[in-house]
Amino acid sequence: MVLVVNGAYDDAGHADPGHPERPDRVTAARAAVRDLHLEGDLVVVDPYAATRRELARVHDGGYLDELGAYCYEGGGDIDQDTYATFDSWSIARHAAGGGLSVIRELQRRNDGVGFVAARPPGHHALADRAMGFCLLNNVAVAAAELLARGERVLIVDWDVHHGNGTQQIFWDEPDVLYVSTHQWPLFPGSGSASEVGGTHALDRTVNIPLPPGATGDVVRRGLEEVAAPVIDAFRPTWVLVSAGFDAHRADPLADLQLTSGDFAEMARSVAGFAPGPGRLALFLEGGYDLDALRSSIRSTLSAVLGGSRDADGLSHGGTDTEHVAKVQRDRVAALDMARSIDDEETTL
Amino acid sequence: MTPLQSIVVGYDGSPDADTAVRWALRLATPTSASVTVVHATGILEHLGTRFSRDQTPPALVAIAKECEFDEGRLHWFVDEGDACSVLLRAAGPPIAADLLVVGSRGQGKRAGFLLGSTSLEVTKHAATPVVVVPSGYALP
Repeated sequence: MVLVVNGAYDDAGHADPGHPERPDRVTAARAAVRDLHLEGDLVVVDPYAATRRELARVHDGGYLDELGAYCYEGGGDIDQDTYATFDSWSIARHAAGGGLSVIRELQRRNDGVGFVAARPPGHHALADRAMGFCLLNNVAVAAAELLARGERVLIVDWDVHHGNGTQQIFWDEPDVLYVSTHQWPLFPGSGSASEVGGTHALDRTVNIPLPPGATGDVVRRGLEEVAAPVIDAFRPTWVLVSAGFDAHRADPLADLQLTSGDFAEMARSVAGFAPGPGRLALFLEGGYDLDALRSSIRSTLSAVLGGSRDADGLSHGGTDTEHVAKVQRDRVAALDMARSIDDEETTL
Repeated sequence: MTPLQSIVVGYDGSPDADTAVRWALRLATPTSASVTVVHATGILEHLGTRFSRDQTPPALVAIAKECEFDEGRLHWFVDEGDACSVLLRAAGPPIAADLLVVGSRGQGKRAGFLLGSTSLEVTKHAATPVVVVPSGYALP
């Protein structure tokens, strides 16, 4: 199976001295791809700057204007976490465009797996606001393109932070299923199990919050016991992954205890939800320890391409085994509540 | 209209946030309202927390003393998230603010742009009344 990746573009201009979301991250991601020695099975597609029309499927026009103007004037801190520079507007549009290039190539081939090694990351970016290192929501831009072509899109977000931007953008969209595993409590504070989707998209949001110290066994159980039945019922025609690697135990920005082997196992499981070849693409989100990032991406991509089990083993025993059952109870209670309100409104 | 019971002020340690806290304490002093000062913990604060979760920052205690505000009605709350989301959540349980107070421009914000403006975002999305205390406002 081929791996389709976006080609390099100059992202050095989106940088802030000392900030962990830095150009070296994409360098590490590209090194991980090289580590796989795919040769003829590696397809590199040209990234381009996503157009306003493509971005406006998920972002407000006023926000796009403001972000472009802000960068043109030299940028600066947007909030306590997020910065922009003169080059950030172009670089962020190339990150979003890189995702579109990859999914179009997968569609053209009807084969392969995609990996979008681009930054800045995107899953915190709201329709009208930058936050959490994110300017444009890359995975949402790609999902919106697929949606416009009549696809049913599953987005699995295993970044350690909840993808509040992606959840918000597709909150009431019945043809997108958003599934997130993330540490909680942690930035951005959203992502409780009781957030289950809007009125027109009940059960299209599945949050599996994990306590600090959680290990891969709990993440796998969450995906199998909480998410898988919902995904099976949804029957996605495409699978996109917000692949953050900051749930790795070496990451400085969170407290989960995953190994690169855990990421590989999650990837195998998520790849199984794709209905066929050419319908799975992974988007780089977080991951700030460069060695952990490289090894985790290598393991993940190897797994989705059918490689053998990872040398770095699976983690176990980090939290109460009852945790997943509690997440499921909270979800069911929230769904029951939402449906009863819906019934009352229908009756009235 | 019921009297104010719970006032929430956004706090990032900036001079504008100090001014917003002073304004809120002055408003609350002749009432029985509590004032909860809320700090939003961003992603980067995981590398080194700026404020203790358990202890009210000394600068706030000093402002309360300066305003002769009953410290028993002053509360400190740290929550995960961006400033806007944290303030909007404070309008719900358990704090249930009936007034949100923010400074007009926090740390590092660039004049002339709405991007990243907490006060603008909060006023756009809040279901409770919001007071934006102008930058450099001199309290009478």
